[in-house]
Amino acid sequence: MSDKEEPKSLERRRFIRSGMQAALAVSLGGLAGFSLLKSSSKNLVWQLDPFKCVQCGRCATECVMTPSAVKCVHAYDLCGYCDLCGGYLKPDPNARSTAAENQLCPTAAIKRKYIEDPYFEYVIDEKLCIGCAKCVAGCTSFGNGSLHLQVRHDRCRNCNDCAIARLCPADAFQRVPANTPYMIKGGFTKSGGGKGKEKKG
Amino acid sequence: MNRKLVNIVLIVLALAIVVIIGKDFIGNKAGKNTENPYEYNVDEFRKVDSTAILYHETISFAVNADEPKGIAISGQQIIVVTEKLLLKYDYTGKELFRKELPDTADCVTVDSNNEIWVGTRHSVVSLDQGGTLLKRWNSFGDRSVITSLAVSGENVYVADAGNRIVYHCNTTGQILSKIGEKNEQKGVPGYIIPSPYFDLAIDDAGFLWVVNPGRHSLENYNPDGSLRTSWGMASFKIEGFTGCCNPAQFALLADNSFITSEKGMPRIKWYDQEGHFKGVVASPEMFDPDSYLAPDVAIDADQRVIALDFERKQVRIFEKNQDGNN
Repeated sequence: MSDKEEPKSLERRRFIRSGMQAALAVSLGGLAGFSLLKSSSKNLVWQLDPFKCVQCGRCATECVMTPSAVKCVHAYDLCGYCDLCGGYLKPDPNARSTAAENQLCPTAAIKRKYIEDPYFEYVIDEKLCIGCAKCVAGCTSFGNGSLHLQVRHDRCRNCNDCAIARLCPADAFQRVPANTPYMIKGGFTKSGGGKGKEKKG
Repeated sequence: MNRKLVNIVLIVLALAIVVIIGKDFIGNKAGKNTENPYEYNVDEFRKVDSTAILYHETISFAVNADEPKGIAISGQQIIVVTEKLLLKYDYTGKELFRKELPDTADCVTVDSNNEIWVGTRHSVVSLDQGGTLLKRWNSFGDRSVITSLAVSGENVYVADAGNRIVYHCNTTGQILSKIGEKNEQKGVPGYIIPSPYFDLAIDDAGFLWVVNPGRHSLENYNPDGSLRTSWGMASFKIEGFTGCCNPAQFALLADNSFITSEKGMPRIKWYDQEGHFKGVVASPEMFDPDSYLAPDVAIDADQRVIALDFERKQVRIFEKNQDGNN
């Protein structure tokens, strides 16, 4: 054995020591990363992009909350205040009235109020809304899409694995910062929209 | 022997499991393709009795440019404006001309002198057949959204969806009068325009026809801006106009009957001079299932309906059936 060679026991000790140091560093790093991820996920909430929404009905049927935490909201600055409202009335209604037989909403959650000839205001009763998007489909197809769905954060439990997001066929659900939790329509009216360019919904 | 049998059973079972899982995955795309109990279904209104369809499509061709905006006829040429381009096609779909526009376009018409008039967002420009700028009017203001133009001699009518008004101008852009402001004495109900669809045309007697889309009607005006007549009916059924704002587009045939085009559930229809439904040019089933935008329509010298399908980015030409003289 030459002088320069270290004894085998010393080599083993150094190996164990550096191994333990590495394990400690990895576990501390992992813990820090996990904490960071956990704290940042607390600052994110679920929301759905109304321009991606295809009104599939999953928001009503898949949410862990009953009724769903997803509700219809109304962009009043977009609304045409139409008498023949595609979101309020069934296709080809008997009359443009508030009679239940003419209403599209399965829970009568939309209230119609006369403003002046021929304008009507439509207000969502969130307690009744189940987020089925039937009105959204009607308004998107035959109006200008002022009715749209949003996750309401007073009800949403912000599940880590959102049951609706998992099944959303349009991948409309996304995590958004908690300080800007809503994606309300209305912006594109300000930028205008010409013939043949109008965005569906 | 027994072990062989067990193996066979196991293989069959494994195959069955793979088939079941595969079928479920393909058919259901991991749960994403289940039925919607709240489906908004208007399929029954998309179907049209074949006897009501009085036109057939003869040819269609692609517009090879982004954002098509309007269509017009100039002699034997089809003129299409996109946001940025002036395009000309022959009836086989061959592109004859392409030139960048001086301003962003929203609509187009051609007058009897073959001058091309283009509505831009807030103003109007006119071009010669070579696309050279002849006139550029002053802006109608930031609120204006020019959606349609009609020219008759020295009179130019400009539909402004933003201000919900029709401007009667001379050819230099001077406003001579405003048409369509709510006026009970003149019997004018006022325009209701929930979305930027607001079309107009001039009949062969020089009278102005304007769509009042929120009232689902077409309105006819005297030169002094008083209402002559109007017609229209709101209904999902084929005879009426549906949605918040229809008809979104229209054109007049030589006999002053109407070709209308609707958005929401796109369909092109034919009405007589009094607004009685005559038949269908293109049923909803002739458009893509998710189509939403109303095709722009123009009429050529042979009374064919030339439609600009914004969704397909196609020019589609419809001719009356041999027995289509309903």
